Amino acid sequence: MSNEGIVDADEFEDSKVRVAADEFGRSIAKVAIGQICERIGFDSSNDSALEALADIAIRYVRDLGKTAKFYANVANRTECNVFDVIQSLEDLDSSTGFPGGSEAFTSLLQSSAMKEIIEYVEVVEEVPFAQPVPRFPIVRNRKLIPSFVQMGETPEFKHVPDWLPAFPDPHTYVYSPVWNERTSDPRSDKVELARQRRKAESSLLSLQKRLLSSGSAVTSTSEVSNGSKKSRFLAVTDGQTVNDSTEGEKAALEGDFNPVVLPGKRVKESSMENHVSILETFAPVIEALSGRVSESGENGERDFLDKRPAVRLNFNNGRKMMGDSLDLRLWNRGTGRISSWFGRDDVVDDKKRRAEYILRQSMENPLDLPQL
Amino acid sequence: MNHNQQSNEVRHDDENALSDFLASLTDYTPTIPDELVEHYLAKSGFQCPDVRLTRLVAVAAQKFVSDIAIDALQHCKARQAAVVRDKKDKQQKEKRLIMSMEDLSKALQEYGVNVKHQEYFADNPSAGLESASRDE
Repeated sequence: MSNEGIVDADEFEDSKVRVAADEFGRSIAKVAIGQICERIGFDSSNDSALEALADIAIRYVRDLGKTAKFYANVANRTECNVFDVIQSLEDLDSSTGFPGGSEAFTSLLQSSAMKEIIEYVEVVEEVPFAQPVPRFPIVRNRKLIPSFVQMGETPEFKHVPDWLPAFPDPHTYVYSPVWNERTSDPRSDKVELARQRRKAESSLLSLQKRLLSSGSAVTSTSEVSNGSKKSRFLAVTDGQTVNDSTEGEKAALEGDFNPVVLPGKRVKESSMENHVSILETFAPVIEALSGRVSESGENGERDFLDKRPAVRLNFNNGRKMMGDSLDLRLWNRGTGRISSWFGRDDVVDDKKRRAEYILRQSMENPLDLPQL
Repeated sequence: MNHNQQSNEVRHDDENALSDFLASLTDYTPTIPDELVEHYLAKSGFQCPDVRLTRLVAVAAQKFVSDIAIDALQHCKARQAAVVRDKKDKQQKEKRLIMSMEDLSKALQEYGVNVKHQEYFADNPSAGLESASRDE
């Protein structure tokens, strides 16, 4: 049975907010009534009509119960039996009339209201309710305040029996001052903070080194299977530092990413030069940091750092600045400059943009280091 | 004596019929679920641990509702038959039967339940009068 009423979003939201206490029972009744109507022959129903009929059905059930209870009480009983129900059926059906209603004293066993129901059950096919219905309403056990006896306390006043609920604990209503237990040592706090910063910087640097070393490994085998980021990194930086800038860079950036199949040999030779130069730019930074914080596993990687350029580098006290130079914030800052240099007006897709970032990284660092 | 015996027999039959019926109710599953009926009966004070009685109440309510719905269906069909007079007599296409408030209120009228809706709402006292004056 489909519902004809159109439900728009507002109406739905309203019905979510305003829910009567009886809503669950009413909805179940609506479904049951819908099933009954469907079996009778209706294809669909108006929402209001269905609700009205469900409401009437609920009232009928309640009236049956009320009347049956009344008859049971009249007969000095609290529990209803079948004759109470039959009598209440006769009461409620009397408005429409049933055979034998006019007679004053009839045996309830012969009640025709009952007979009609028996007939109904035999004739009509059984249509059980569509879904399983849990018992409702759910009764939750209330958490009661424990009594004095249960708490193991004795009430302070003699007139208070101990089976009554206990008084609340004094900490709930007595104000006691609170002070900071932890002793603060500003010096040790600063030392701790600096240590944590150093650790972050060193881990970042080791990441950079790992990227570089893995990148060089890829080009040395000259296998560029997937046009990965690292190979692109080197292909692009090749273009830059060899000063055949336009050719190398265009070949790399022009959408085709079997890129290092550029001028093959040239790549290899220049790559060897280049990756060293890139590592050289990092070398002093790495040196400086590793000089202060000993990192494990670094010794194997120092083979790259044999060749030293003749670059003078000034170091401030600020280890912070070195950490910042590797920071992503600088990468983002440089975006505008780089894209304007290339002067590309056409749409740069994601991979090309990444290539630019990597370019920037290699270019920024030689620029930034003198600032240190 | 005979009369008494006869009435005894009749009563016996009726008792049998009733007890048989109540026994059959344990198998029968009414469309209105038991939990719903129990909830509303408990609300009104009906107390009975016997499930057959709740099923009886459920069946009675189901019969009640189906009687009303059948009356509403007849009203609906009568209205459709009245509308579809001329053109499509041969091909009377199956129009969907929709239970509307009008049919329901007509059906409920016989049961003494008044659920009539307002036929129209006038926003000012002269609402209907203007159209009459326009026709002239």
